[in-house]
Amino acid sequence: MAQGRILAGFLAPHPPHLVYGENPPQNEARSEGGWEPLRWAYERARKSLDELKPDVLLVHSPHWITQLGHHFLGVRTLRGKSVDPIFPNLFRYNFELSVDVELAEACCAEAREAGLVTRMMRNPNFRVDYGTIVTLHMIRPQWDIPIVGISANNTPYYLNTKEGLHEMDVLGKATRRAIERTGRRAVLLASNTLSHWHFHEEPAVPEDMSKEHPQNYEGYKWDMRMIELMRRGQTREVFRLLPQFIDEAFAEVKSGAFTWMFSAMGYPEIPGELHGYGTVIGTGNAVMEWNLVKAGLAEAEQVLGAAALSQSAFPAPSRG
Amino acid sequence: MTIVAAFLVPGSPLPRLKPDNIPWGRIAAGCQRAGRALAAARPDVILMYSSQWFAVLDELWQTRPRLAGVHVDENWYEYGDLPYDIKVDTELAHACVAATRRIGVASRGVNYDGFPLDSGSIVASHFLNPEGALPLVMAANNLYHSAETTERLGRMAAEVAHEQGRRVAIVGVGGLSGSIFREEIDIRSDRIASHEDDRWNRRILDLVERADVAALRTELPQFAKEARADMGFKHFYWILGALQGKFYGARTHAYGPVYGSGAAVVEFTI
Repeated sequence: MAQGRILAGFLAPHPPHLVYGENPPQNEARSEGGWEPLRWAYERARKSLDELKPDVLLVHSPHWITQLGHHFLGVRTLRGKSVDPIFPNLFRYNFELSVDVELAEACCAEAREAGLVTRMMRNPNFRVDYGTIVTLHMIRPQWDIPIVGISANNTPYYLNTKEGLHEMDVLGKATRRAIERTGRRAVLLASNTLSHWHFHEEPAVPEDMSKEHPQNYEGYKWDMRMIELMRRGQTREVFRLLPQFIDEAFAEVKSGAFTWMFSAMGYPEIPGELHGYGTVIGTGNAVMEWNLVKAGLAEAEQVLGAAALSQSAFPAPSRG
Repeated sequence: MTIVAAFLVPGSPLPRLKPDNIPWGRIAAGCQRAGRALAAARPDVILMYSSQWFAVLDELWQTRPRLAGVHVDENWYEYGDLPYDIKVDTELAHACVAATRRIGVASRGVNYDGFPLDSGSIVASHFLNPEGALPLVMAANNLYHSAETTERLGRMAAEVAHEQGRRVAIVGVGGLSGSIFREEIDIRSDRIASHEDDRWNRRILDLVERADVAALRTELPQFAKEARADMGFKHFYWILGALQGKFYGARTHAYGPVYGSGAAVVEFTI
């Protein structure tokens, strides 16, 4: 078996509004459109993903919140209707997905070996969270690629940002080892919004784009600053600023997906491709891609793997 | 005001899912005693607020006449499923949605097949209304609402129920101290995560039993901060609002740990 590798990572936010705006047959709610720039951004990301031809998509979602460790979907097929608890008027989506249980188990085992508390979710009646489903629909509406679903342990909120993101760093490295060991060609999906200040009332017509704009100018400026750094490939600076960004822009990347993804990729200093940016009920959303194949790193990482695994944006906090 | 009973019950699914584990079984037994007391009070409807049903835009109220299905807790799925079959007093729920304008809160009803009920609402409904005979009015915990706003919501809901001539049981669903163990434990020897949390829980329960509302109002903000009280203990403020800030005592049917966090079953004397 060839050694597995990470082909790319995508920042792939999950506002259910994007599915609602697209009107896919799986979603009961119907719209007149809306949020087109973000949906077109996802169209570009879909095309790029299609060219990568991965074996598996791994998604880390902030809406499967777990208190005791990091959990992995561990049932081969999961299906049902996902209704967004916040926007049930927009998102009532019938889904069926296939889980790469072997890879999920490998991720779970590697993370446990690295010192994290981990669990496999084996209950077939489990309701997959809407963050996972929205991200997966937006990036691959055909649902023809197996997935690995990973929960967001609440450490960044329960303890503190740096300690929480350190755990995500460890989780990312464990994920990489599992991908390599199982021979998968994998794409990582960080299901995160950037600035997360939002309006508290919904317009009468949710897709009325005359009402859509950044909720907070400071949040918008932070988003642009971070996106510009990411476009330039200044990854080290992005992660130096990340805790401040989280605090000042109420950024959803606090939940860990973004750090998990970059840790798994070895924090590459390569330009991210911005497929598009837009706001959803005031929050800042960027669809971005770090294509390790195009950057010549997908092959190189097999050589550089040990070095990549030694990179850490958030070292273990000292205690005592 | 026609409030005939009021209860504080925990929202953790563990006592429901694994009552054979002794620490959690004690909580389950307390919930069952509360359920019998509620039935004896013969309410027409249960007004329930759960700390685990999150809202972030408007205040949400269930307006679907019947909610039935199987829920799986996102943390404790390994212990099994949570089937539910709940009737909703839609007339009263719609009246609550309309009446929140009185207190400057935007509300909306939720009437969708497959809407994800929270574990707390399901577990409380199971213990307090085991046959599903009584209809419920179910209110969400808007994460941006303060304790004061939640208290006003509770008061408003009780007033609307009174206007409609209902005999009401008030239920606040949520925990006490919120620290859980973050590593695997032997669940048979579950305990409150720290001595400080336990001391805080007992202090608050003592004040509740003595109906010392003034002291509670003084100490609850500190309790919320130092003991990481579940959602700022807003579920208590829901009860307090519905009781118009006054009750005469309370009986603690059970107190104990659920994976380190504090859980209590309290029946208020009204």
